[in-house]
Amino acid sequence: MSDQVTRRAFLAAAGAAGAAWLAADPDLVHAALAHARRTVAAPPPYRFAVLTPAQADGLEAVAMRIIPSDGTPGAREAGVIHFIDQALASFARDQKDPLIAGLDDLNARTRAKWPEAASFAALAPERQDELLRAIEKTPFFGTMRTGTVMGMFSNPSYGGNRDQAGWKLLGFQAHGIYQPPFGYYDAEARKGG
Amino acid sequence: MQISPRVTYPTSTEVDFVIVGSGAAGGVMAKELSTRGFSVVVLEQGPRIDPARFEHDEFKYLFHNGISNPSPVSWRKTEQEEARVGGGELLYARLVGGSSVHFTANFWRLHEIDFHERSRLGGIPGADLQDWPISYADLEPYYTKVEWEVGVSGEPGPFDPPRSRPYPLPPMPNKSAGVLFERGARKLGLNPQSAPVAILSRPFNGRNACQHCGYCMQFGCEYGAKSSSLAAMIPVAEATGRCEIRPNSYARKVELDARGRAVGVIYFDAERREQLQRAKAVVLCANGAETPRLLLMSKSNRFPDGLANSSGRVGKTLMFNVGAGAMGRFEHPLNEYRSIQVTRLSHDFYDSDPKRGFYGGGGIDARFQRYPITWALGGLADTAPQWGSEYKRMVGEYFNRSMLLAGHTTSLPVPQNSISLDPKAKDAWGLPAIRVTYNDHPDDIRISQFLLDRSMEILDAAGAQEKWVDYPAETATFTAHLLGTCRMGKDPKTSVIDPDHRTHDVRNLFLCDGSSMVTSGRGQPTMTIMALAFRAGERIAGLAGRGEI
Repeated sequence: MSDQVTRRAFLAAAGAAGAAWLAADPDLVHAALAHARRTVAAPPPYRFAVLTPAQADGLEAVAMRIIPSDGTPGAREAGVIHFIDQALASFARDQKDPLIAGLDDLNARTRAKWPEAASFAALAPERQDELLRAIEKTPFFGTMRTGTVMGMFSNPSYGGNRDQAGWKLLGFQAHGIYQPPFGYYDAEARKGG
Repeated sequence: MQISPRVTYPTSTEVDFVIVGSGAAGGVMAKELSTRGFSVVVLEQGPRIDPARFEHDEFKYLFHNGISNPSPVSWRKTEQEEARVGGGELLYARLVGGSSVHFTANFWRLHEIDFHERSRLGGIPGADLQDWPISYADLEPYYTKVEWEVGVSGEPGPFDPPRSRPYPLPPMPNKSAGVLFERGARKLGLNPQSAPVAILSRPFNGRNACQHCGYCMQFGCEYGAKSSSLAAMIPVAEATGRCEIRPNSYARKVELDARGRAVGVIYFDAERREQLQRAKAVVLCANGAETPRLLLMSKSNRFPDGLANSSGRVGKTLMFNVGAGAMGRFEHPLNEYRSIQVTRLSHDFYDSDPKRGFYGGGGIDARFQRYPITWALGGLADTAPQWGSEYKRMVGEYFNRSMLLAGHTTSLPVPQNSISLDPKAKDAWGLPAIRVTYNDHPDDIRISQFLLDRSMEILDAAGAQEKWVDYPAETATFTAHLLGTCRMGKDPKTSVIDPDHRTHDVRNLFLCDGSSMVTSGRGQPTMTIMALAFRAGERIAGLAGRGEI
């Protein structure tokens, strides 16, 4: 059935891992959208709506390991943390405390393993990955993965996907109008290949 | 379309017909009844949205119910379990035009066999498979009407049932997935064909042709090229000056008089005040979940188990269409995010074949149906990295090089599979939430697996460099196909409506939508729902004209 794939997407977002990013009320999404437009349009430095600078650094450090900046823009350049901040300020506001608790736990794990480290965000990427691998089945990591993906690939008007960094990674263009041929194989077939 | 002032009726005015639902069936019904001279009020749950305001916003439309119904649904597999909200999901739109606005627009006719498979195969243990009381030949003129009145693009295929007129519009241009599918299927001796779609390949009836934006599935078409009720039927109904489409009207009960005749529909208006729209007759076109729900909510002393439910069959034999999907990755870019979702399919396995050892049949189509977020969340194989540098590389590299072969299958009418009222969960209006009880018949899963195996072979033959299961053959916990819950039949003891779509129990109450279907077909039910509505509209108008309602 045509919609089975949506089911999978839905479950991915609606399971324990991602319920944070779903709101039944579209009005809340509208509010987030309006807020994101205003803040993105505002001159820097960017003011976070609900996150402290340390919290934003910590969550952004997690997002940067999920979609790293390795030669092409990643979660950081795409401004994923701004999408997350907006979400926690609006439709996902009830998820702020669990997410911060998850980050506190990550910082505690950091200090337990490397007492000299100031925070998870201050660790080298390899050490960050080591810690994240240990918690990749937790709701905290699932929520961060879903939020990072949504911030990377949703319309830039939500505060992430800056300069369409996520869409450029995919080769997805948002033109809204296309003419055939659309891809390599139909072009080849048209030429009689 | 000529712009005419929209008619409005006071609720106290008894109109000829009140229709609940403005989707695939309701839109056609409104057009058929109003153009035949009847006064009509259509009650639609959702708002009226100007197509120019439809958005390409995946986050809002797919994850935040931009135009879809957000009401809670509870779900269980068997009647012995307690249903749990969030255990499964129904997807349908909530706006003027209903789910015909956001559907993918695949538009298959049923085949002759779908109407009389019980007679050919005999009974199936564990299912209540029955013949329809009408045949393909009875419905054929209305399939043709749908094609020419709402606009369908396609060309005849080798397994198609007979047609009385050609398609009005040529098929849509083929995409890379279709080219590769054809290549693989032909190598295996199969017979791929163009996919018929309710999308305009050329301008038609004053409407725009498709611009290939890629946002069909779960989105509204801002160009008006998708042949929804909103684009094709409602403007015609409103131009009669006799049809009022009333948005934000949430039906809660069909009201009866002392004689047991329907007098109208009680609904909540936009301000959530209760209203009663009076009418000489009531037609429910609310979909295969909402129609039985409304009947079950319309209890009375005369109908203690729900309205029109003397058979006990209201809400029963729920069918979905199931299927599994195989993804393949190819060497060069397909850019499948462009244009419509499906351009080629195979009906080689449509018929049930006893040699397979189980009941069922279906189709396979070539498509891509993931937008950026849904792709990045779950498009890669489960065994692929799900975060980190390698994940990022694969998400980027595979997006434009992947395609899906999707199976679409029969769903057997299992009596225990049903729509009922949840005893505890409520919707935002304080009304009982829909409770789904659904567990696929084992043969449904077998035919899904069979088509998945064939899909893998086709991907190999097409030259896929890599392939993986996108979604497996397993019992469904999600659907947009809501079928069979108020079956048509001649026997009032085993069906809810007669072949005129009149309920056996209430002379002036009619039902027409996916709930009317006796068998599931092999997927893509909207074409059949619209054809049934054209036929029902004609018959109901005939009954009204002869004073037989």
